[in-house]
Amino acid sequence: MKAFSDRLFILFVAISTGFFVLFFLGILISMAWYTDFQTLVSTILSEEISFSIRLTLLTATIAVIFCTMVSVPTAYMLSRMDFTGKNWIDTLLDIPIVLPPISLGAALLMFFSTPVGKSIEDATIKFVFSEPGIILAQFTVISAISIRLMKSTFDNIDPKYEAVARTLRCNKFQAFFRVTLPLAKNGLIASIILSWARAVGEFGASVTLAGATRMKTETLSIAIYLSLSTADIEKTVAIVFILLLISVFVLFLIRRVSGREPFM
Amino acid sequence: MIFLLIISILAYIQFFDSSPVHDKKKIVTFCGAASKPVMEEAALEFERDYGIEVELHFSGSGTMLSQMKISKTGDLYIPGSHDYMLRAMRDEVVDPDTIEMLAFLVPQIIVQEGNPKNIQSLEDLTKPEIKVGIGDPISVCVGEYAVELLKYNELYESVEPNIVVHAESCSRTAALVTAEQVDAIIGWDVFAKWNPKKTDVVLIKPERIPKIACIPGAISVYSTDKESAQKFLNFLHSEGGQQIFRKYGYLSTIEEARIYAPLASTPEIVKTD
Repeated sequence: MKAFSDRLFILFVAISTGFFVLFFLGILISMAWYTDFQTLVSTILSEEISFSIRLTLLTATIAVIFCTMVSVPTAYMLSRMDFTGKNWIDTLLDIPIVLPPISLGAALLMFFSTPVGKSIEDATIKFVFSEPGIILAQFTVISAISIRLMKSTFDNIDPKYEAVARTLRCNKFQAFFRVTLPLAKNGLIASIILSWARAVGEFGASVTLAGATRMKTETLSIAIYLSLSTADIEKTVAIVFILLLISVFVLFLIRRVSGREPFM
Repeated sequence: MIFLLIISILAYIQFFDSSPVHDKKKIVTFCGAASKPVMEEAALEFERDYGIEVELHFSGSGTMLSQMKISKTGDLYIPGSHDYMLRAMRDEVVDPDTIEMLAFLVPQIIVQEGNPKNIQSLEDLTKPEIKVGIGDPISVCVGEYAVELLKYNELYESVEPNIVVHAESCSRTAALVTAEQVDAIIGWDVFAKWNPKKTDVVLIKPERIPKIACIPGAISVYSTDKESAQKFLNFLHSEGGQQIFRKYGYLSTIEEARIYAPLASTPEIVKTD
């Protein structure tokens, strides 16, 4: 009887997995129907798309680096410390997950129309309708994902390890960098992977804040949108496959380099 | 888990109770966003008078065409410019014999309310401190017209450095100036009517406009109810439909459009009748 229920269980999980595999393969195969190899090659080689590829990889990578630098300490604080208003802050930081990216983009655009926003732009760099705007938009969208993942990672690490490190005369910095962070490695990698993937696919916030100027702020997702807007379905599908190939390759690479299979 | 699933399916069925009380005819129309206000009102009026429901989809004309091509559905296609109608004809998405010209559009300079930068002509767009926005010249028809207009007047090279952004759609181009993101856009004359409190129109000298655009409509080859689709198209072309176009500031005849652009070439769709 036990053997039967075990087999039933395996069957159940296998059916679910099979469903997802067939579902996504089905979508991809039906897309392939709309393009051909020649279009794919000519699209990759076109100046516009090779620019888009570089822009997308560069902006997403910078956004993830900035985001991780800020989200790791934030997540640590939310996970380890108790203070008044913590629940409020926790909820506030979840807002980017709930709000549609396009409204985040609109909010950023409005912010830079205010005197404060304008003076920030004057003092630093221009974000509106320019390349840094893409990075800022991606940063805004991925911040919540990154904080959330890092927080749950820190939540799962027993604070006793740090306490032990402290008794061995580590200061807080040393305890964090030598003990907690190495223990959080898998979570950190998962957070970087997911945030990066989300940044690469970001559309709504970037197009609203940075515009859709060809050869300037045209990321791959914007290129997909523009090419669908010209009713050029072959090219649209070709760009989707390019985005897919690059992303799969990079994600695979991160997993290999990081040595272990992260928990995602 | 299964309980939750069942509950949500039941709630879904309850919420989207799709079983129609009476069997009402329905046509699906894919429109370029350039005619949004008109189409919404026209669809309501048509439904009231003819009892045929019109489901409207709005986006960029090209996006709409893509959706029709991919899904192989839709009864009517009403893009924001004739260029997309030509494309739809070439891709055999519409029946060329059914094309009707519904309204005409003329490019103008649209500025912020009160014209704070005192822009009076196309030349003023070359001034160094002016920020100009246009639609994406390849995918957005109003962007394509902007570039053509500037090139025709030999100003493209000098205005180009001031073009800070390409918008991804017709309505986003209009929004650039209402949200005060740019000082001026080159847009359709109707943009100013969409948001009269926040925008002003600066008329371009009539002889400097090289091309008039039109909003055409045609029945799709995928239509499952060509008769109803034809009725709606006829309605849009009738006096009642044209009145709605005029109400929102669209030019309903080529003669009217000619007043603003006497030398302009007419849209090159020749109706075969």
